[in-house]
Amino acid sequence: MLSSLRALVGAGMATQRGLFPDQPEGANGLPKVTEQPCLGERCGLCVAACPTQAIALGPAAGGEGAVALDRGVCIGCSGCLEACPTGTLARDLRTRTAVTRREDLVFSNRQRPVRGAEPRRPSELLRSLHVREVSTGCNATDLEVQATTNPIFDAARFGVHFVASPRFADALLVTGPVARGMREAVVRCHRAMGAPRLVLAVGTCAVSGGLHRGGYAEAEGVSVVLQPDVYVPGCPPHPWSIIHGLLVAMGRAEGVAAGTTTEKEPDGSRGKGT
Amino acid sequence: MTLPPGVRSVPVGSLRTEVLKSLRQPGARWGHATAREQYGGGLALEVLVLDTRRGTGTVLSAPLPPGTQEYSSVTPEVPAAHWAERAIGDLFGLRATGHPRWESLLLHEAWPADHYPLRSDAPEETKPAPREAYQFLRVEGEGVHQIPVGPIHAGIIEPGHFRFSCLGGVIANLEIRLGYQHRGIEKRMTEVPWAQGRFLAESASSDTAVGNALAHSVAIEQLLGAEPAPRVQALRTIALELERVACHLGDLGGLSGDIGFSPGAALFSRLRGAALGLGEKLTGSRLQRGYARPLGVSRDLGDATRMALREGTEELARKVGQALPMLLGNPGVVERMEGAGRLSANLAKEFGLVGPAARASGGHYDARRCFAHGVYPDPELTPATRTGGDAYARAEVRGDEVTASLTRVAGLLDSLPVGKVQTALPERLPAGRVAVGVVEAWRGELIHWVTTDGEGRISRYCIKDPSFNNWTGLAIAARGNLVADFPLCNKSFSLSYSGNDL
Repeated sequence: MLSSLRALVGAGMATQRGLFPDQPEGANGLPKVTEQPCLGERCGLCVAACPTQAIALGPAAGGEGAVALDRGVCIGCSGCLEACPTGTLARDLRTRTAVTRREDLVFSNRQRPVRGAEPRRPSELLRSLHVREVSTGCNATDLEVQATTNPIFDAARFGVHFVASPRFADALLVTGPVARGMREAVVRCHRAMGAPRLVLAVGTCAVSGGLHRGGYAEAEGVSVVLQPDVYVPGCPPHPWSIIHGLLVAMGRAEGVAAGTTTEKEPDGSRGKGT
Repeated sequence: MTLPPGVRSVPVGSLRTEVLKSLRQPGARWGHATAREQYGGGLALEVLVLDTRRGTGTVLSAPLPPGTQEYSSVTPEVPAAHWAERAIGDLFGLRATGHPRWESLLLHEAWPADHYPLRSDAPEETKPAPREAYQFLRVEGEGVHQIPVGPIHAGIIEPGHFRFSCLGGVIANLEIRLGYQHRGIEKRMTEVPWAQGRFLAESASSDTAVGNALAHSVAIEQLLGAEPAPRVQALRTIALELERVACHLGDLGGLSGDIGFSPGAALFSRLRGAALGLGEKLTGSRLQRGYARPLGVSRDLGDATRMALREGTEELARKVGQALPMLLGNPGVVERMEGAGRLSANLAKEFGLVGPAARASGGHYDARRCFAHGVYPDPELTPATRTGGDAYARAEVRGDEVTASLTRVAGLLDSLPVGKVQTALPERLPAGRVAVGVVEAWRGELIHWVTTDGEGRISRYCIKDPSFNNWTGLAIAARGNLVADFPLCNKSFSLSYSGNDL
């Protein structure tokens, strides 16, 4: 007992103080679209390298020289940006990656129409969020969701608690591609929750089916059965990105709208009680 | 490089006797069974028998006459075959006659009856006939009651259904029903361009990214008849062992949590974080996604990073050395884990358990001693074994393996061969070949079994996750335990649901 205490005290504090640090240098991160001109379809190296058809070029992306990269489908393998000869696609190590609108996961070098403000989050969730996690086929994302509760990331300090029953939950956090066999379970879990009840699609699989799209099991993400309020891309997402998604759900951080180099840099730490 | 498995064609009528005969050979082990559509039409039923002495195997292939609907089950003699035969039933509509417990394994009420997704001659889904309701084993007697749990569980964990038949708080029988996450990966592997199949192969059980990517790579290299450079083999082994370290540390933390030992839970989840950090330095991804690939790895290791990794490994080994006695030497922990979820050596053997669960019940099988993957086979490797067969023994085996793996990683970093880490791959795979990649992933023996058709396309891609063997071990070990101890028993096996469901 004494030796346990000694070891624990001696180990010191593990919790990361700075919020949403970038992923370390050398990490894969996620790709982003820069303002460097794209060679378009006559190059096409990124499209060929992508295992999930996350990239569209030229007219399919909105015109000559356009490139559109859908992070909701991307698995972050870095194949595209390593193949890109012009630097149009580059590495993005930031961890604030969650959005509230599916279309905001599509990064493009084209001007985007100005949109209205983001939908307002229910303010009663500002201080605490009780979350029911339902996994449907990606145990890597499950591990990273679990990691948000460990001493390093410590999601509990933001008032986030993972609960054992949908009856206690304000938010349903879905991981995995929601293939046929899990649809009913996900819907019934959601139905068992009281209002307000938010839905988070966490991980590329949950957003779109990711690698599993197109097969006979119809694994195309959670939106087939429920409308997500927050999307967190990544295969799997970084624990900080998952925390970002949770804070966006609570209304304590803004979802990052996709763009080239001018995204907002919201401060996840603001809000009462932090 | 492993030898590709020998293929022996046998009439379906004598498949059973041939399997039993092969399994009596010295060093023989049940590998897996499945079916496939042959190039040119018709189904073949196939059994893979591994040869642990020569590091290869034999595929006993039985072409089925048109219209065949059943064959003779080997489960009564080879209990390890029981789930494989049920999976064949779901995917191909072939019934194993004489199977002691014939139910669906992967497909559920969400899927129409008579829909066999791996058969191209299967009738279209025009009139979805409802599937017969699954019949759980009934335990009868005074006071027996059932507790249904799942598919959604209380923790942050994968879905599956556990049906407990209990006498008071004691588990009389546990039936495990999985398949909820069936994503059709095996079929999808035959549809995507083969050069990108490695990403999908990893996602079979995405917490075992390196294990799956390596088994995939070994199988593809066997098809190509090519061998990766020594540097590639060393780097992949470092990744494989770091994955083992991170996952075992995570499980030791999970076990601590399940017995209410919070200091252990906090400490081991931190150590797991440190192990993930090492993997991230090596591969760019905390879970080492996309790193191992056929004939290569995705990035080379520079000298500065190598030194940093070497230092990090040593520091982690030192911390693990301090942390393990804190958990495994704590009298409260010992009392809580000893005797919980005991699995006898003979049942572990009969049901073909693999990995730490098998080695905690007296088994010695470790695929790293027999099969080529990374720097293996290493016949000198001493497997970590215990004979207790309980949750404590399984924790001890994990502890030993973490220490041994860190030593191996340090050794490999010290003597990293020089050379290229990528080789261009041909456009096409050779036609009409069979290959089998066998890897000791962190949960145990993982098999990727690949067949190409007459045009070099992958026509059948079959995956056998270690958990496919081990789930039955958990069902048996839970008997006689308190329902309240089930989370501890379950965590001590630490099984993959998605690797089983595919």
